[in-house]
Amino acid sequence: MNAAITQEELVRILDQALQEVTECTAGVCLHQGDQPLGEDLCTVHITFNKGFSTSLTLCADTSLLARMAQNSFHEDAVTPEDLEEFSKEYLNVLCGKVTGAMYRATQIPAHFGQPTFYHGRYEPEGQEIQFVLTYSDEHSKGAQLIHHVPCSSEDETALDEI
Amino acid sequence: MSKRIMVVDDSRLVRVQLEDALKGTEYEIAAYCRSGEDAIEQYDAVKPDLVTMDIIMQGIDGLDAAEIILKNHPDARIVMVSSLAYDDTFERAKAIGAKGFIDKPFHQEQLLNIFEQALA
Repeated sequence: MNAAITQEELVRILDQALQEVTECTAGVCLHQGDQPLGEDLCTVHITFNKGFSTSLTLCADTSLLARMAQNSFHEDAVTPEDLEEFSKEYLNVLCGKVTGAMYRATQIPAHFGQPTFYHGRYEPEGQEIQFVLTYSDEHSKGAQLIHHVPCSSEDETALDEI
Repeated sequence: MSKRIMVVDDSRLVRVQLEDALKGTEYEIAAYCRSGEDAIEQYDAVKPDLVTMDIIMQGIDGLDAAEIILKNHPDARIVMVSSLAYDDTFERAKAIGAKGFIDKPFHQEQLLNIFEQALA
């Protein structure tokens, strides 16, 4: 997403979207900080396949995602299936919010694919990290929103498409 | 008397959000459909006062489903609910006769205002 918009603006859009979507869908306030993630993690990843050749990855403490899923679904406990379903839908809504803001800023309509869910940390192949936004909640559980771009060799081609 | 809403969305998150937002209001959720095909099939039986329609779903998308429902039932009142807030999406929704557009995630006040306008 870095050719049509400055990184500073993109960071602002992602941060605003994440905080709004998290509070609105899960009733959880996340604030930026340098909270290190724990060892029990989940990752949900989505690729932009039209408009921008990038991807977004949310890697979070499983207990944070579980609490968000409990709040959203009004369940006392969530199953692994609930956790996966929530994580994918949450990232879907987040990306919708992000693409809407990106469109208003650049007039480029972006489309994104289906989110994929992983237990543990996941690093998409052929992509490198452009920047990471780190968050924590009031229980000191953390999440990272990671913006990936194609690796340098593929980067020029990808940016030409924008 | 409650106004009956048919919710067409494959997202559990959105369904729960809608349930929360409509609790204690004059609206009741009369049916859930997880796809556009399901909505087209169920519309006659449910006869809702208002339909909330997601856009991106497996199979037929929400705009096509809304167009088919409106062709068969020109008096149907359909509000699109989506995060795909592009100008061309708004324009197409308007062109096929949708009565409003709600951005995800939504707040109760925004939802009720758009419902009220759609049913006016």
